[in-house]
Amino acid sequence: MSDLLADDPEWADVVPISQYENVNPIAPIFYSEECPYAPNKDATDYFRAVVKTGEMSPRVLKLTETIIQMNPAHYTAWQHRYKTLIALRSDLEEELRLMDDIAKQFMKTYQVWHHRRLLLTAINSVDVAALELEFLRDVLEVDTKNYHTWSYRQWILAHFNNEARLWARERAYAEALLDADVRNNSAWHHRFFVVFASGVRLGDEDREQVRKRELAYVKEQIAVAPNNASAWNYLRGVLETTKTPFEELTSFVEPYTASQRPAPSEEVVDLDNPLPTEKAELPCVAALEFMADAYEKRGGDAVPKAVEIWKLLANEKDTMRKNGPRMNELNNTK
Amino acid sequence: MVNAYSPTPIDGYSTPTSTLQASTENIIRSHIRPEGGAQPELQKRYHFEFLLRNLRQGFPERYVSQDASQPWLIYWTLHCFSILGAGLDDQTKKRGIYCLLAVATLLNLLTPELLAGVPDFLATCQTYEGGFGNASFPGWAFEADDPESETGPAKTYDPSAPRPPLGEAHGGYTFCATASWVLLRSFIDLYYAPAIQSSAVSLPQKPHIDTRALLRWCTQMQGLPIELGGFKGRTNKLVDGCYSWWVGGCFVLVEALLGVGAHSEPSTEENAGEEEGQKSWDDIDDSLFDRKALQEYILLAGQHPAGGLRDKPPKPADAYHTLYCSAGLSAAQHRVIPSEPRRKAVISAWDAAQARARDGTGFRATSEAEREKLDALRRQTCAHVLSWAEEEGTELYVGGATNRVNATHPLFNLTTTHSDTMMAYFYGQTFPSRHFTPAKK
Repeated sequence: MSDLLADDPEWADVVPISQYENVNPIAPIFYSEECPYAPNKDATDYFRAVVKTGEMSPRVLKLTETIIQMNPAHYTAWQHRYKTLIALRSDLEEELRLMDDIAKQFMKTYQVWHHRRLLLTAINSVDVAALELEFLRDVLEVDTKNYHTWSYRQWILAHFNNEARLWARERAYAEALLDADVRNNSAWHHRFFVVFASGVRLGDEDREQVRKRELAYVKEQIAVAPNNASAWNYLRGVLETTKTPFEELTSFVEPYTASQRPAPSEEVVDLDNPLPTEKAELPCVAALEFMADAYEKRGGDAVPKAVEIWKLLANEKDTMRKNGPRMNELNNTK
Repeated sequence: MVNAYSPTPIDGYSTPTSTLQASTENIIRSHIRPEGGAQPELQKRYHFEFLLRNLRQGFPERYVSQDASQPWLIYWTLHCFSILGAGLDDQTKKRGIYCLLAVATLLNLLTPELLAGVPDFLATCQTYEGGFGNASFPGWAFEADDPESETGPAKTYDPSAPRPPLGEAHGGYTFCATASWVLLRSFIDLYYAPAIQSSAVSLPQKPHIDTRALLRWCTQMQGLPIELGGFKGRTNKLVDGCYSWWVGGCFVLVEALLGVGAHSEPSTEENAGEEEGQKSWDDIDDSLFDRKALQEYILLAGQHPAGGLRDKPPKPADAYHTLYCSAGLSAAQHRVIPSEPRRKAVISAWDAAQARARDGTGFRATSEAEREKLDALRRQTCAHVLSWAEEEGTELYVGGATNRVNATHPLFNLTTTHSDTMMAYFYGQTFPSRHFTPAKK
């Protein structure tokens, strides 16, 4: 028995349309005549036929599912599937469950997530959105930096915008991911998204308290692994967005610019400014860059100090970036 | 001084990110050219054969996932021939807004309606890191009217509401946003309020992006010497050959936004004396990234021994990486930047009536003032796009001139010959010759 639609009586009334009809194609995709891709050609030939006639029926749902299984990036198949679901007044929550496996299997494909976004919009239920966040936890466990999954998660939060059911646990979620991997930049971005970019969370109304909390958090994370670009970028983000001068952080940053951790006898315990761990590889390039920027922002007599650090970075500590913004600054300060 | 090829410091604290990073560095370091070793060679013949195989025999069946994206396969292949130096015709397509803008610019389809709200939207996609994410919320905030909106019931947009970017800063989206921003500059100048608002007409406020933060982010994406100076697409992710173009290609765009380095003003002479003291380290070249290192990454790690280019060893080559590694190599060899003399030459030869007649949108202006403004938008945008030209005497070929590939237009990733020809046709213009040497003092 063949699985081809060409041999299926249910599809006998449809005339398939082949892709390269009446043309001599350049750079065609070479579908093998044997399995496994002959079914793809067969299915897409029938799909082109139903798009042409505008058919929206249960068998079209089966057909588009077949195509999507073989090629999850086939956006026309997704689009036609969505239109058909709406036209048939299908149970969209059932569609979500049906698509769970496909989402996990093809999580790097944008269309998978766009389809779910359309479904969630149409269902328009906070309960379903909350379940969806749970589902995304599972997905992100497999690939903690999956771009489209993160972007979709953030869309759900902003679109349904429900503090108690959706936003409430997000900062803790990002924090758990950072506990597991403090270098996960997606989790840092998510924290910034939740705390600063999307408005004010319930309980976060006191912005000065939020500023202090976030600075304390990022300092602790820098202390654990000082050469972590994600944490330094977060620190810069907090400072810029809360309009905190870089100057305010220099007593924290300075020990990270030394070539060694202070000797235990000289160590001053300052809970607000945690020191690098003993295994830290110093000096930390990001700390040097930070100090230079702080000096430059201070201006006047401090500028030569900035220039000195830029030269140290360019010539020795961070040679790959010798041509970057620092050179630009240097030219501007001449 | 630290070892030039020190691994990324992990501070004695390893996490999944640093473990993956370390194993990648171990693979890439084995491709470092030994001291005194042979110069790296661009295996043009093998890459041609790879491209020709795809073109003549078709793509192997693993490309079935590209079934719905065949124009891309054609573009990647054909444009790559152009870069590597074999003449073939061209075709273009890109992503989202950038795709739309590039096409609308090339094909004379620009109208204020089409562009309304686009700069504002782009500006909200910049993240705290300086690069751009893939969208911002709400996506519909800047759409004038969209009855078939996917957002369901109509919503009213509160302009004071937060507009968070969705997704972290990413090389692909950063390129698209930056190129779009550059393409939109004339539109912003003409259709938004100047810094000092004249009270007569109310125009929207100019949106703003942080160009310095953008430059810093792009610079941070270049890997360490142990990663051969390839580019990453996000903070703490791995280097990948395709970002040679998406991020490496961004620098001249950022430079244009910063207004540095353009061969417009005869300023070199007066600065010459001041630069004396800096000679030790800034006489290498005046680009904002390490062009030599990027070429080394592509030549040493990016080439698959059997032809075609790739993400990183030991991955196979594919059509997408073959183009974007080649384009990145081009961006590292040539400095293509806006030339003010060329821009002026295009403006003075501009035929507004022809451009208006060939407008492909059927846009109906309601007043003569509006029509003239649109004429100006076409003229300024075209003149800017056409002004991009290679800066003479700045080419740099790692491994010697036999590794030379052709220059490509930073805004479109098409050769300038192709973009010039397309625009001459769609705007009904005869552009002044490209063999135009900017006046040197």
